[in-house]
Amino acid sequence: MADEAAFDLRRAGGASVLALKGDWTVDTIAALDADLRALESRLGPGAVVDVSALGRLDIAGAYLIDRTLRAGAGSETRIAVRGKHPVAQRLLELARANAKAPPKADHKPWTLNRVLEETGRNVATMGEEIIEQVSFFGETLAVLGRLALNPRKIRWVSIVHTMEHAGLNALPIIALLSFFIGLVVAYLGARILGDFGASVFTVELVAFSVMREFGVVITAVLLGGRTNSAFTAEIGAMKMRQEVDAMRVLGIDPIEALVAPRVIAMLIMTPILTFAAIMSGLMGGLLVCIFELGVSATMFWQRISDAVPEQHFWVGMSKSPAFAVVLAVIACKQGLSVGGDVGSLGQRTTSSVVQGIFMVILLDALFALWFLEMDW
Amino acid sequence: MSADVAIRVRGIGTRFGPQVVHKGLDLDVLRGEILGVVGPSGCGKSVLLREIVGLDRPNEGTIEFFGVDREQAPRLGVMFQDGALFSNLTLLENVEAPLREHTQLAPDLRSEIARVKLEMAGLPAEAHHKKPSQISGGMRKRAAVARALALDPEFLFLDEPTAGLDPISAEKFDRLIEELAHTLGLTVFLVTHDLDTLLAVCDRVAVLYGGKVAAIGPINEVSANATGWVKEYFSGPRGRSAGRAYITPGG
Repeated sequence: MADEAAFDLRRAGGASVLALKGDWTVDTIAALDADLRALESRLGPGAVVDVSALGRLDIAGAYLIDRTLRAGAGSETRIAVRGKHPVAQRLLELARANAKAPPKADHKPWTLNRVLEETGRNVATMGEEIIEQVSFFGETLAVLGRLALNPRKIRWVSIVHTMEHAGLNALPIIALLSFFIGLVVAYLGARILGDFGASVFTVELVAFSVMREFGVVITAVLLGGRTNSAFTAEIGAMKMRQEVDAMRVLGIDPIEALVAPRVIAMLIMTPILTFAAIMSGLMGGLLVCIFELGVSATMFWQRISDAVPEQHFWVGMSKSPAFAVVLAVIACKQGLSVGGDVGSLGQRTTSSVVQGIFMVILLDALFALWFLEMDW
Repeated sequence: MSADVAIRVRGIGTRFGPQVVHKGLDLDVLRGEILGVVGPSGCGKSVLLREIVGLDRPNEGTIEFFGVDREQAPRLGVMFQDGALFSNLTLLENVEAPLREHTQLAPDLRSEIARVKLEMAGLPAEAHHKKPSQISGGMRKRAAVARALALDPEFLFLDEPTAGLDPISAEKFDRLIEELAHTLGLTVFLVTHDLDTLLAVCDRVAVLYGGKVAAIGPINEVSANATGWVKEYFSGPRGRSAGRAYITPGG
């Protein structure tokens, strides 16, 4: 439908005439860009545009023509149009009026100085982040303490809602994954311990590892991915839509209304989920013991209660509230730090999950050291 | 006369469950005019705009652009109420985005053209590299117009262009729309609540009421022959004071 754009440079009466043909629109001018650049030097002052054969013209086309004129004939000279066209003169003038030279972009080169500067800035940001995180943690604890003294201000509806969505709904996936971990550990144990003729210790291996470590760590890591992203996105979206600001203005403390219910809900649900994870991990082990080792279910449970001290179960369970609080606080803090644009929402959600899982593993290592030193 | 009809809307019916929004709505938008669409909140103005630009599909009825179906219709520029700029891109990148997608322009020329559009919308060069969250609401609206005009469309759709602007910015914005529409020969479909906008820039107004176009025509005709809601709208205190400023001096 559109006629191809073309041009022709003639000399008539001492001045050069740029004759335009076809449609000069945003769709057709792409190919002419380089040719017109090359032509600029030959245009000379007093150049005239002949528009009598010009088809459709839009701002993009007008800009390109005007750019050539400005470069060839100087930007002070008037736009001289020859021939009849309904909009050419007007659009060319509009394009000239709005063509401003872009400000020089200050692209800093990647010198050693700049690398050091960026590194320093990132380290400083990280330090600030840690301080903010710790102070937010303290603030949350203070609010929780205040709520404990004044339980009527606790938002139970919100807590139960979070318990369902972040806790109960995570149960199937946590149980399933934990089941498979138990299965894998038992299978490895049956193979490797079998080489020493000690395959019956597979039961202990499963029980120790699932109760002490896997049950609680799998739960925490999954919640770190599942719940942290949800919390950060929820609170972050509220922040972006100024709902958090509205709360502040209305005298509602966002920590009390948004953070505390989530922390409390996770504090209640994480131990329950951990318990479920431990049980289904043991089930996975049991399955391998029955089919690979020929140990009966009764023997399996009997051996666990005889050979594995109860404290291992409690060691695992005792870690779960700590993980719950750390995860929920990180998620809420990141949510409240979301800025005005979409980029920061994505970035904060990522940090929330990464920091959450990082802290879980780090804390778990500290717990392991401590429990071993205490001989538990 | 019928050759001048740019958008022909016939027998539109829209329902959301039991709620009927449009029933048998007919509307003609003439080529090169600025048509203002008014009506009470919830009367389906924005829904009609979304249906015309093809974001929503009406339950029944047809919408034609120059006698052809929307699929082969010319390019449309749409400005959403809050601008709907891509918040992770700078203003310049926002305007470049449609050019990048639909043309083969070289990167330099593309950004030069995008700059011209931003300048036309009244945004100075210092603002071109800012993100939408770093500028004021009025500037965001200007950037949104620049983006809507990026591909030099023949049609411009504006949803509440002056909502949330102070009266002076709103007036400047009205001027901008009028100026752009007339210089570029655009056909403008403008949904608004703002009586001043209506009086200042629109060639015709269409009043949506009860799922139909209750009245359509030049504003002084519509307000002169008004009945029911339309009358209340134009002769309420806001309507009267806005009308005094525009209609009376002109006659």
